[in-house]
Amino acid sequence: MNFFRQFTALLSMSLSGVRQRVGSVLTIIIGVTSAVAVLVSMLAMGSGARRQVLAGVREDRVVVNTHGASGIQSTIPRDQADAVRDLPGIKKGADGKPVVDFQSIVIIEARRRITARRTFFPVIGVTRPPFADAQSELHLTEGRAFRPGLHEIIASTPCDRQLSGFAIGDKRPIGGADWTVVGHYDEGDVQQCVVLADAEILMSTYNNNSYTQATATLESPADYAVLQRALEQNPTLHLEVRHEAEAREEGIKGLHNLLNFAAYFVGSIMAIGATLGAVNSLYSIVDARRREIGTLRAIGFGSAPVAASILCESILLALPGALLGVLLAWALFHRMAVSPFGFSFLLDVTPRLAVIGVVWALAMGLIGGLLPALRAARVPVTTALRAT
Amino acid sequence: MTAGVSFVSVLRCAEAIAEACALGMKYLPLIWSGLWRKPGRTILIFLQVAVAFALFGVLQGLKTGTARAVADARADLLIVHSRLSSLAQPLPLGLLEQVRTVPGVKVAVPVELTGGTYQKPDQGIGIVAVSPDEDWQSAFTYTIAAEYLAAFRESRTAMLVKDSVAEKYGWKIGDHIPLQFPAVVQRNGSNDWAFDVVGTFTDSDVGGGRYIVIVNYPYFDEARAAKKGTVNHFNVAVSDPQLAVQVADAIDARFVNSSHETKTESLRELNQQSIQAIGDFDFLIRAVVGSVLVALLFATTTMMVQSMHERIPELAVVKTLGFTDRAVFLLILAEALAVFVAGAVCGLLLATLVLPLAARFVPGLSMPGIVLALGLALGIFVALVSASIPAALAARLRVATALAGHRAA
Repeated sequence: MNFFRQFTALLSMSLSGVRQRVGSVLTIIIGVTSAVAVLVSMLAMGSGARRQVLAGVREDRVVVNTHGASGIQSTIPRDQADAVRDLPGIKKGADGKPVVDFQSIVIIEARRRITARRTFFPVIGVTRPPFADAQSELHLTEGRAFRPGLHEIIASTPCDRQLSGFAIGDKRPIGGADWTVVGHYDEGDVQQCVVLADAEILMSTYNNNSYTQATATLESPADYAVLQRALEQNPTLHLEVRHEAEAREEGIKGLHNLLNFAAYFVGSIMAIGATLGAVNSLYSIVDARRREIGTLRAIGFGSAPVAASILCESILLALPGALLGVLLAWALFHRMAVSPFGFSFLLDVTPRLAVIGVVWALAMGLIGGLLPALRAARVPVTTALRAT
Repeated sequence: MTAGVSFVSVLRCAEAIAEACALGMKYLPLIWSGLWRKPGRTILIFLQVAVAFALFGVLQGLKTGTARAVADARADLLIVHSRLSSLAQPLPLGLLEQVRTVPGVKVAVPVELTGGTYQKPDQGIGIVAVSPDEDWQSAFTYTIAAEYLAAFRESRTAMLVKDSVAEKYGWKIGDHIPLQFPAVVQRNGSNDWAFDVVGTFTDSDVGGGRYIVIVNYPYFDEARAAKKGTVNHFNVAVSDPQLAVQVADAIDARFVNSSHETKTESLRELNQQSIQAIGDFDFLIRAVVGSVLVALLFATTTMMVQSMHERIPELAVVKTLGFTDRAVFLLILAEALAVFVAGAVCGLLLATLVLPLAARFVPGLSMPGIVLALGLALGIFVALVSASIPAALAARLRVATALAGHRAA
């Protein structure tokens, strides 16, 4: 109890003296602020990329592709399509047919609107009309859907915003044929340009006899195991099934890891710098208060409460830095559109990242306060009183 | 006239520098003892500077390193791919003879690409199938020993492995390596392939992939069930690098309006596009470097102002002994410069040591001399800016008031 009373008295004393030590206090706060702001805004890239990729993922939807391959490497020969449709566990639509969409994916190059730089976007040929399901995540914003059997495409709204040649009525050469843009659609916050077309027309343009992959809606999420077992027992199919979330996350794994590695790498170095700055400032605060601390020790304050109060002061000074850093990252970068490596998405400063930033700052305060707290605790009573 | 004026100002500048240097040499012990007045504080500032410049070096190295990698990429090496889609759109092998007859083409080699895995699905290896024609390696960025080249030509199931692959999996010459190609089925319906390691190679192209192996295209094409007689692209080496653009246009012109229109680009152009993505990080790199420097500047300035206040009695004594205001100003500046230059040099050296490790994750990292020079210049700049306030305070110190124990305002 005595410890606690001494500790609170000391802490309120050091906090009331903050105004006389503006320089040192600001050094700690600014250092922590910049370290936390950089860490949080860089982590927001990884979380934004992940959020976009997982947008609209449904638990009862699965992706079927070649065993061991993913993305555009996968192939499902056209003659295996019926075998896939007949797999057990797949939901039947209103028309009584299984809800399976075969997709043929081609990567096409385009030019950015402003910089005229080259970039790539996927054209996805689909076998099911894109707005057929009532619960579809896609919404037509302008124009109409493509008509099967015609060289028509619909583009997501980011295409028109970022790239040239995507206005309604524009003609684009894809695979040697001219395709007309007949509609725009959007899919939540997704920033990536994706173009949809009729799979059969796209495949005949490219003389291709295989789909790239298939997505299927299950009767219920529990039917996943049924479908998986059926595929394993059918070696002629060479296919595997994965949850939609898992399949999509794999596509982003490399980028996500790279972005997070960069964030923690830069964030750690900045945290080390900020901690060093905090140690220095706290040392000078302790030095400036040597006489005061010595006097307090002389009138009976213990060394443990002195050390604890310095440590606590350090953590308390790091906290505003943390909040300021998170706020700065949020104000400057939240929902900012970026496109590293040609993949466009919005930065996303989530509560989880804010917590990481605060924890990071607390660690800086704690580590930075340790040595100065020890020095304060060891201030000898007599020398302190003699000091000028 | 103006020449005369500028000559005089240059002279003045040189004089000032000479004076500072002379002062520095003469008062080295004084600067030294000033630095070690509070060793803990000096060491902490030094560490802070070193950490900031290590980060600066890594980030700037990323930027300039990739820019240099693009500039170094061979412009005389052309890639001929399909105009339909530059990725995964096959070209018929039959185009090869026509490509070879284009004037200026020295070597043209068919190249097929696919993805393979070794033992586990997450151990991916890039498969480059090439036809081992005469002098084929001159159309690639690979460096391959002559005996390995000969061995590769002799056996149809031969495989050359990049040094990083050999190192990662411990493959040796003579090993028979089973690989899975998920996207390529053999005529017997299997995805399992096997090749014999006959040698290793290195790749000077930063965009060339970390884990790649080279196999024999005629064998690969014969053994696969689908897409027979097609390739991903042709690699072309031109006889005169100056004419690379004209040769590229001539190749594309030859296939205009045919059923297989081509698009020919140099390796440098391709690298430029793939590395352009890092350009999107320019803003971020600048923001991070900027915030690091601002935090550093603030920290060191307050620290130095504080230490100046503590030293008022000493400085007053120094002035009483006859030091001019200017000498005191330079003295404080010299102390800051010493710590900052030492810290910046250590930080940049650290970054140079760390970069080869980081290059494993991000290809194309390097530390050109210009980054070191830039870092050092920046270190001197930050030192001068953050020391100028305390130095000016010290210079303006009035001896009488200082000795009387009053603090400077």
